[in-house]
Amino acid sequence: MTATNLIDAERRSFNRWALAPSLVILFVIAALPALYLLAASLTPFQLVNPGSSTDFSEPLRNYRLLPGDPRFINSLIVQAKLSFWGVLFQVLLGMLLALLLHTRSRFVALARTFFLIPMVLPPIVVGVIWKLIYTPDISPIYYVAGLLHVTMPSLTSSVNFALTAIIIADTWEWLPFTFLMVLAALQTIPEEYSEAALMDGAGRVQIFFHITLPFIAPILTVSAMFRLIDSVKAFPLIFLLTGGGPGSVTEVTNYYAYLLAFDFNEIGYSSAITIVMLMLVVVMSLGIMWMGRNREALT
Amino acid sequence: MSAHSSRSAGAGRRAAIAVVLVVLLSPFLWLLQMSFKSNDLILQFPPPLIFTPTLENYTSLWHGAFSASFINSLLSASFSTGFALLFGIPAAYALSRWTGSGRQALGFAILVTRMAPPIAFTIPFFLFYRWIGLLDTITGLVLVYTSFNLPLVIWMMQPFFETVPRSLEEAALVDGAGIRTVFVEIVLPMVTPGIAATAILCFLYAWNDFFFALILTRTNARTAPVAVVNFMNYEGWEWGKIAAGGSLVMAPVLIFSLAVRRYLVSGLTAGAVKG
Repeated sequence: MTATNLIDAERRSFNRWALAPSLVILFVIAALPALYLLAASLTPFQLVNPGSSTDFSEPLRNYRLLPGDPRFINSLIVQAKLSFWGVLFQVLLGMLLALLLHTRSRFVALARTFFLIPMVLPPIVVGVIWKLIYTPDISPIYYVAGLLHVTMPSLTSSVNFALTAIIIADTWEWLPFTFLMVLAALQTIPEEYSEAALMDGAGRVQIFFHITLPFIAPILTVSAMFRLIDSVKAFPLIFLLTGGGPGSVTEVTNYYAYLLAFDFNEIGYSSAITIVMLMLVVVMSLGIMWMGRNREALT
Repeated sequence: MSAHSSRSAGAGRRAAIAVVLVVLLSPFLWLLQMSFKSNDLILQFPPPLIFTPTLENYTSLWHGAFSASFINSLLSASFSTGFALLFGIPAAYALSRWTGSGRQALGFAILVTRMAPPIAFTIPFFLFYRWIGLLDTITGLVLVYTSFNLPLVIWMMQPFFETVPRSLEEAALVDGAGIRTVFVEIVLPMVTPGIAATAILCFLYAWNDFFFALILTRTNARTAPVAVVNFMNYEGWEWGKIAAGGSLVMAPVLIFSLAVRRYLVSGLTAGAVKG
């Protein structure tokens, strides 16, 4: 056996030892819970009814119930509204902010850091911040509205405004994410492009639509996809600001699944809903991977 | 307009940036100023521009049950970060030197664990913990956070290991050094900045968690984010204390995340795009 072979063999054994614990943990945290969830979703499992966890007599019962559950259907619609408007505003405003801050200057470089604050705050603190803003007694917004003789409804307990209130808070929290992504993309545009266009007499608007936008379009799509997947997880804001209410106006699917499992003890049914959500997320993640690979192939 | 001016900041643009910054950060600043006000002052409108800041919200909060939750958060975040690094760093190194297939599959598994709604994991974890008696323990939290930070460590550390020239390792190996020695004495010291950044991100994820702590803890292992919410729901509307609690929970996050802002994007997107 040559020295290189020996080294190779040693490296292989080292790799095995280095990877084994992590693979075991990944299997235990990702694969086992997913399998368990799938099994639970095939039973009418309720915590108060211990025998029900292994009752596979009617495995598809939960999935058959889903289409006829108005609260589930409503939660999908609420989720769609929250995701659509939230992602739309985050991408648009994030892009505008990135365009505004895309300059070379020390002052701006420092300012960029502060724009990231909402995104890095603990989600629960974001909830507390907006709770303070939305509570009439202590909110500057209500004070200003009072000065202007405008009567503002209590945003988070109004059927018409509760979801909007959540969308505003969510947009505030995640705007920095799209901002950061778009800014990174803007910085890769070769300066000669816009300089040449300026020489040819192109206006700023023309440059934006013909040079900048095509360049950052892929990153806009990717950020939108990331925010879309993340928006399915919306929880702390809803938990703190509206509790899914009033009624179920702000009850997204994730929140409904939470209530079912941990308030109503309907573990089996909640698992079925979670499996549906998980499948949506897997499909969207595959989409992102696919887009990412295409982009790498291009560059 | 000259070609150059589009890239340098004019006075108009600077003013616009300053205004946008103040507007965007005002909700955050509102919380911060409220934490230094007495309850009478909080209810006073128009809000006085100049007031004598008081620390009474912070001190009374700290002397209550909040300090224990803060320590719980600190413990679970620190230990889980340590364990995730311990298992994740060697795995990341092995993967970065991996030539075979399977990297894509692992990358996808990592992406899914990050993207999946937490409830998918909380139901099985909750039932399992209830069964073996890990509910409401720090150990239980450390276990959850370690397992969710592990994929992050593996993902974030790989590019750092890729920057270490292989010729360096090979030279040492040919000289007869064992691969473990090479890893510990040559490779690791070269990636310490990466380890620091990764460690901070792990700490932040564990620190920021609300959902797992809400479901897996009750009173003994309650973390700071859950304590703030409980405070809000059960101890009346003491706005000053609520604001102080929020400020305390966000303090470590602000300090740390500004230190690693360069890595924030790749951490948040689990590396599916190059940040």
